[in-house]
Amino acid sequence: MIEHIGPQLFNGLVLGAFYAIVALGLSLIMNLTGTINMAHGSFMTLAGYLAFTMVSRGTSFWFALIAAPLIAVIVGVIVERTLVRPLYKREPFYSLLMTFGLSLMAEEIYRLIWGPNGVPFSPPHALDGAASLGFMVFPTFRIFIVVVLIVAIVALALFLTRTRFGLRLRAAVQDSEMIAALGTNTQVLYAVNFGLGIFLAGIAGVLAAGMLGLSPTSGNNLLMPAFVTVIIGGMGSLFGSIVGGLLIGIAISLTTLFIPAASEVSMYILMAVVLMVRPRGLFGEEGIFG
Amino acid sequence: MRIWAKACWIMSSDPGDSTTTKPLLALDGVYTNYGKIRILRDVSMSVGRGEVVALLGLNGAGKTTTLRSILGLTPPRAGTVRYDGHDVTGWPAYKIARLGVGYVPEGRRMFKDLSTLENLQLAENARGGEWTIARVFEHLPKLNELRGRKSGRLSGGEQEMLAIGRALVSNPRLLLVDEPSQGLGPLIVEDVYRILTELKKTGHSILLVEQNALLALRIADRAYVLDSGRVVHSGPAAELAADQNRIRTLMGLEIKV
Repeated sequence: MIEHIGPQLFNGLVLGAFYAIVALGLSLIMNLTGTINMAHGSFMTLAGYLAFTMVSRGTSFWFALIAAPLIAVIVGVIVERTLVRPLYKREPFYSLLMTFGLSLMAEEIYRLIWGPNGVPFSPPHALDGAASLGFMVFPTFRIFIVVVLIVAIVALALFLTRTRFGLRLRAAVQDSEMIAALGTNTQVLYAVNFGLGIFLAGIAGVLAAGMLGLSPTSGNNLLMPAFVTVIIGGMGSLFGSIVGGLLIGIAISLTTLFIPAASEVSMYILMAVVLMVRPRGLFGEEGIFG
Repeated sequence: MRIWAKACWIMSSDPGDSTTTKPLLALDGVYTNYGKIRILRDVSMSVGRGEVVALLGLNGAGKTTTLRSILGLTPPRAGTVRYDGHDVTGWPAYKIARLGVGYVPEGRRMFKDLSTLENLQLAENARGGEWTIARVFEHLPKLNELRGRKSGRLSGGEQEMLAIGRALVSNPRLLLVDEPSQGLGPLIVEDVYRILTELKKTGHSILLVEQNALLALRIADRAYVLDSGRVVHSGPAAELAADQNRIRTLMGLEIKV
């Protein structure tokens, strides 16, 4: 049993990185516009299916890894501009219902196009096999996933802290009216921010397709843990989303090892414990990236 | 009332001003609501080039709403707002700001998690002009010392300076300044008004909202008094400052002598 703890911790880390990146996208969108994007998982699935179609028609996996999320971003920004934007002035409940409806429609559309069952999507041969990290041997694809997701998170952090646009985004989260009064077109901020969230979801969607499988509901299956991640990490904190995701991933994988029946429920127990100690979540009081 | 306001503007405008005869900012018959509640009723006023105009009145008279109507944050339901030859009524706020309208809001509205420097960087734009961040630091050296500090941790006076500096970085021709003395000690208020006086001398137009009427009248050329969303008085600032009984009737108990 003990010898399984290492690999299982690593699996938890991979799973947690997925939760973190999906939760980051949700948080970005929620922090700026108050929109709870229930369709976030659908954009993951979309990117996964797009990559599947590209690769099965001979496109390279590496190209699909970037192109599929970008197409999902275009769809996402169109959805934001036409369907979500008119609801910004209303209570968050309206956009929640709107995006929930979208996710149901998307699921059916995926069923029509790609069929009701899962489709096989395997990573490229270059990522087959296993690699030794010195102390232990891990599947190469999973190591690749962790590296890509870490790069994505670091890139996001640099974008938010080191660029003019990122500065405006962070300011708009605090006071979007004042940032408009200083001459910034907030509608552009909203659209780019939404696209950014979808891009993260899209990358996760392609990678998850290769590891967890691809079906019309596969993205939505990651959505619930991602919401729990946001709550554990603390609403409003992107750093919290990262920590929360990793905690849940590790909690689930370790529970799977010791009490398999309780693996599903472990994240809710974790959430309950965190909320009892800190009702705002772990980093709920902090600003974005400190 | 509208005719009176216009007459006042004509009387006070400098006949030697050859660049243009039109004021920089002109409101004409503006009505503004918050939801279903009407705040401004038939407000007409103007600010000339290089002019400092005080906008006085009690709490809830509609002073802040007037500024918000000008900037498009709360667009008017009726009437027009003209700025520098453009009819900006109904424009989004960012477009009006980009025409050169700087906003120093009530309560400062710092981006409190951002540093002093970052607050200034937010207001930089493509318009360019004499005001740069370096120049703001030169004029307000205290801000330079605090450039790396989160603005939420600055004192009220420092925040007010930063709010003014932030507005200046966008190189505005018109400054909308809302209650700059609010919550500040007398010495800091002197500092703030010294800066506003300097800005006046360098040709900036300022629309200055204040509850402390005498303070604002000291630097203003003209004044308007609002009551329940209507302009109830307009005229030269010196005239109003000299007639304290008139201020007392217009502004009730708020007079601070």
